[in-house]
Amino acid sequence: MTRKTEDIFNNCLEQMFEGRNIEDCLNAYPKQAPELESLLQTSLALAQRSSAIQPAPEFKEQVHLQLQAMLYAKQKEKERARIPVWYRRWALATAAVLGFLLIGIGTVGAAASTLPDATLYPVKLAAEQVKVTLAFSDMDKAKMHIQCAERRADEMVQVARQGKSDKITMLNGQIANHLDKIPVIEEMPVVEQSGAKKAQVPATAVAPTLPAPAPSVGVEAFGEGKEDGELEEMLSQSRAENLKALRNALDKAPEKLKPVLRQAIENMEDDYNKTISIIESGANQ
Amino acid sequence: MSIEKDVVSRAIGGDREAFAQLYERHFGGIYRYIYLRLGNQSEAEDLTQEVFVKALEAIGSYKWRNLPFAPWLFRIAHNQVVDYFRKQGKVEKVPLEDDMPLVSKSNPALTAERELEIDKLINHVEKLSPAQREVISLRFGAELSVAEAAKALGKNEGTVKALQYNGIVALRKMLLTDK
Repeated sequence: MTRKTEDIFNNCLEQMFEGRNIEDCLNAYPKQAPELESLLQTSLALAQRSSAIQPAPEFKEQVHLQLQAMLYAKQKEKERARIPVWYRRWALATAAVLGFLLIGIGTVGAAASTLPDATLYPVKLAAEQVKVTLAFSDMDKAKMHIQCAERRADEMVQVARQGKSDKITMLNGQIANHLDKIPVIEEMPVVEQSGAKKAQVPATAVAPTLPAPAPSVGVEAFGEGKEDGELEEMLSQSRAENLKALRNALDKAPEKLKPVLRQAIENMEDDYNKTISIIESGANQ
Repeated sequence: MSIEKDVVSRAIGGDREAFAQLYERHFGGIYRYIYLRLGNQSEAEDLTQEVFVKALEAIGSYKWRNLPFAPWLFRIAHNQVVDYFRKQGKVEKVPLEDDMPLVSKSNPALTAERELEIDKLINHVEKLSPAQREVISLRFGAELSVAEAAKALGKNEGTVKALQYNGIVALRKMLLTDK
C-alpha cells in the first residue's frame, strides 16, 4: 500500500468527519473509489458506534467534584504561600520576641488566671491573639477560638460571683465573637460510587463558601447597668444561640475537631447555667 | 492567543473555571479512548479518573510550546493504559470470545441494541495490533486529528495514517467475516 492511498483515505476520512458525503470524496478519486468506498463505510460505522460510548453522567459528576475539591485545596495552599516571606519572618520574629519577653518575665503565667478587671488581663488577651494569629491551619484556628470562648465563659462565672454584671455582658459578647470567628471546616461528602470505583476525595477540606456566622448577642445589645431580669434573659438567649452554633459546627466538623466541640458544648452549657443560677440566687447582690 | 491557549494558561494559574472547561471538552474523548483500549467500563472509569487527577497535579509544569494541550492530556492517558497493562501483567493483544459481554449493562443511556453493536465493535478493535488499536482509539474514540494523535504518540503523521489505514482494512475484513 502506497503512502498516497493512505493520504487519500485520510483526506476522505477528514471530510467525512466534517459531515460531508462519502460520494463527494469517491468522485474526487475515481480510480481508488471501489476500495475507498468499503473502507469509508467501515469507518462511518466505527465512528457512529464509538460516539455511542458515553461516560455515565453520575461518574462524570463525581470526578468533577473530586477535581474541584483538589483545585480548591491547591488554591488555599497557594494563597498561604503568597504571604510575603518578609511578612512571615516578621510575624514569627515578633511573636518569638513577644513570647520570649512574656515568658521571660513570667507575665503570661501570671496573667493566665486573671479576670477582666485585673491589670494583666490585656496581656492574657494579647497572648491568646498571638496564638490565634500564628495558628498554622484552619483547624488550629478553630481550636484556639473554641478554647478562648470557653475561657471567657469560665471568667463569666467568676465575675458573676463577684457581682460584676457589666463584665458579664462584656464577656458574653466576647464568647459570641470567638464563636463567630471559628472557620468553617466541613467534612467533604463521600460520593457514592458504583462497582469497584473508590472516591479519592480528600478526607477533609475547608468549605469553599462560609455559611452565615453564628448568631451574636452581646455588648451592643446589652449595655452596662442592666437589671438582673434582663441580664438573665440575655444570658438564656445567648446560651441557646451559642450552644446552637456549637452544635451546628459539631454536625459539620471533621472527626478531629469533634471531641473539642463536644467538650466546649458541655463546658459552655455548664458555665452559662452557673452564671444564671448565681444571678438568680442573688449571690451577686 | 487562541481561546484554547487562553483557557489552558488560566487553568495552569489555578483557575477552577478554566480547568472545568478543559474537563468538559476532553472528558468524553479520554473516556472513549480508554474504553476502546481496555474494553471494560469499570476499568475505563478508574483510569479516566486517574488521568484527570494526574493532569491536575501536573498542569503547573505544562508548557504549550512543547506540546499542545490535547496531545499532552492523551499522552497521560496513553501512559496510564500502558501502566495498567503492565501492572495487570496482561498482554494487550488478547483476542476475546465473540460472545463475551464487554459493556456494563448498568448504563441506562444505552439501548440493548446499541450495547450489542458496541460489544461487537470492541471485540473487533481488540483483535487489532496494539499500535493500530491505539491509533483507531485516538482517531475514532478521542476524535483527535492525525497531527494531534501523532504528537500524543510521539510518532510521525505518516506512521499514524498508515496504522489508521491498516486498522480500518483489518476491521473491514472482520466485518465481512461476520456476515
